[in-house]
Amino acid sequence: MLVTYIEAIRQAMDEELGRDRNVLLMGQDVGVLGGAFKASAGLQEKHGADRVVDMPISESLIVGAGVGLAVQGMRPILEMQFIDFISCGFDQIVNSAATLRYRHGGQTACPIVVRGPSGGGVHGGLYHSQNPEAWFCHVPGLKVVAPATAYDAKGLLKSAIRDDDPVIYFEHKFLYRRIKEEIPAEEYLVPIGKAALRKEGRDLTVITYGAPVHAVMKAARDMATEVDIEVIDLRTLLPIDWATVKASVRKTGKVLIVHEARLTGGIGGEVAARIAQDCFEELDGPVMRLAARDVHTPFAPAMEAYVLPNQEKITEAIRKLAAY
Amino acid sequence: MLIDVVMPQLGESVVEGVVVKWLVEAGEWVAKDQPLLEISTDKVDAEIPSPSAGRVTQILVKPGETVPIQAVLLKIETDPVASPPAPEAAPKWDEETEGFPGHMARTSGPPIPAPPRVEPSASAPPPPPTTGRIRITPVVARMAAEQGLDLSKIPGTGIDGRVTRKDVEEYLASGQAASAAPAEVRSAATPAPAKVPAATPPKVARAPKVALAEGDQLVPWTPIRKKIAEHMVRSKQTSPHVHIFAEVDMHRVAGVRATSKKEGVNLTYLPFVIHAAAKALRETPIMNATVSGESTVLKKDIHIAVAVDTSSGLLVPVLRHADRMSLKEISAAMDDFGARAKSGKISPDELSGGTFSITNPGIKGNLFGTPIINQPQVGILRLGQIVKRAVVIDVDGEDSIVIRPMMYLGCAYDHRVIDGVAGNGFLYRVREILEAGDFS
Repeated sequence: MLVTYIEAIRQAMDEELGRDRNVLLMGQDVGVLGGAFKASAGLQEKHGADRVVDMPISESLIVGAGVGLAVQGMRPILEMQFIDFISCGFDQIVNSAATLRYRHGGQTACPIVVRGPSGGGVHGGLYHSQNPEAWFCHVPGLKVVAPATAYDAKGLLKSAIRDDDPVIYFEHKFLYRRIKEEIPAEEYLVPIGKAALRKEGRDLTVITYGAPVHAVMKAARDMATEVDIEVIDLRTLLPIDWATVKASVRKTGKVLIVHEARLTGGIGGEVAARIAQDCFEELDGPVMRLAARDVHTPFAPAMEAYVLPNQEKITEAIRKLAAY
Repeated sequence: MLIDVVMPQLGESVVEGVVVKWLVEAGEWVAKDQPLLEISTDKVDAEIPSPSAGRVTQILVKPGETVPIQAVLLKIETDPVASPPAPEAAPKWDEETEGFPGHMARTSGPPIPAPPRVEPSASAPPPPPTTGRIRITPVVARMAAEQGLDLSKIPGTGIDGRVTRKDVEEYLASGQAASAAPAEVRSAATPAPAKVPAATPPKVARAPKVALAEGDQLVPWTPIRKKIAEHMVRSKQTSPHVHIFAEVDMHRVAGVRATSKKEGVNLTYLPFVIHAAAKALRETPIMNATVSGESTVLKKDIHIAVAVDTSSGLLVPVLRHADRMSLKEISAAMDDFGARAKSGKISPDELSGGTFSITNPGIKGNLFGTPIINQPQVGILRLGQIVKRAVVIDVDGEDSIVIRPMMYLGCAYDHRVIDGVAGNGFLYRVREILEAGDFS
């Protein structure tokens, strides 16, 4: 069936709400309105107002209530209307949800999913364009995923809901309706912790995730006669699938990491450091990174294009690394 | 003026919309903000107001049609009277406020002085010489070591002439490496050309990775293991080893041990061998030597390195001036090394500077073994197991069979430097000293 990325998310929640009575969806406007982006359209009607619950504008409350419900055996999906506002629920996530299993010596779990629209490229300005995934990758006890396709959006969300640990699910709003993809009609899951090899190549590996996957793929296709590029979509950012990363580095010897989040302190730094340490003798060039400039995402389209990575910048970085 | 009315983007994720119904017709006069049509997106439904007063000249989209955002929906000929005023002139650049509107940026007080430009106090270092320097990447370094390649022969196509993995692969594929290989072998076989042979140690060729079967255990090399591996490979590559063996009657040594024991001093066999070796080395200078370029350095001092097995690996502390030490001093020094090696308290200084080596595999050392020379030395002794054996000796001119503690003493020497007469003479002399039993 042909679905958009956001429809894949809606289907995942619909199916899981139908499968397991313990699954709940909580967030601002998720019920009557069906979500600010319509990710939960029709779900309250179908599953009831006690399971698809409109919440006040308090992310701390949404996550905190979710943690309490999870301790009591529920599996709440907690929607942040924009992932930018996840910072208001930060303490509940990193100090409460992430530590719960550890604090109780493994005797309890915290099966929550915190999900919401992230990312720029939509002229949303600095409060509606953020990519805060790196903050959470620093926290043991969490899992962090960032799907780039409708197939993964659905399969990873279903896996996240079924996971016994807190999963932060970054969906990219630029992809919501720009992707229309054929996905299986029958049920499937995408495992957390497994990267996807999007394209095989011999000369150079590009490691990416989220919206830039598409720009990288386009660049790889457009440059096919020039350089043979391998593309890895990490999909899960915590824990990272190092086996897939290292296997590719050993093959190509050159690595470019692309993400839309800012450069400094981003996931790319961690990936680059691991590669430098574990694959040093396989490297045929410096591990390079392409990310957003270290500024807030501007509102003006021209400025936003200047700040965020795009196909043109990716192509330039690939050329530079290929020639090294 | 003719203006376009386009499909607006109603929401950040919306890329298209459907025209539901037209509220105006072509040719109709409309006021500013008058609803023109209804549209629907998967986020919201909305009416599109007219951006200006005027007359609708053309309707381009039929009801029910889906169009992308920014697509033109209709055209309006604006009323010249009601048309929007010309855009305001850009605000004048205000020197004082540097263009910021309002008073917030207005300066007050004296202007902040511009920071001075400071030249670096030391002159910049000259750029590194580029001639003769080969730029490579880590993978190329590894490939060159594994394949024994001379990188100066491989043309680099990377930035600044860097030799890339592709360059090495192409070089290997072209067969040029094969023709260059004999030269490599020749140069490896000639005596160490460098002034300090240890300066350019050949790397241990990395073994190919093996697949692990179920239950197999992968034990990564510790730093000390890597050092030992590198050292052993280097020694075997550097020195043509000759191994010789002497069968030594240790009964007089055993006698001295027994006497000492009565005096309360516990001696092992090792100090006797060290003592005998030191004495024999003094008489055979070529065995107490090292190689420098195409010369042999006969060392003045006799510093004997003795292998000690520790929990973290093989350590070889050095007994300095072993020829000047008494048996008891040697014994005490060895006990001290043994204890400190186990607790990891031997300093790096104590592990270097040996001129000859002795290895004692201990009680379970088996009959004999072929030791590897401790580079850059040229000789090494190895103690075998001491076992009682029936041996034939001469007693007052008569052949007699007696029971004696016997030991095979193994010796390796570097045939680059030492020939058979000197090598065999040395080992024979060690045996004589041990059998004579005079350790004063």
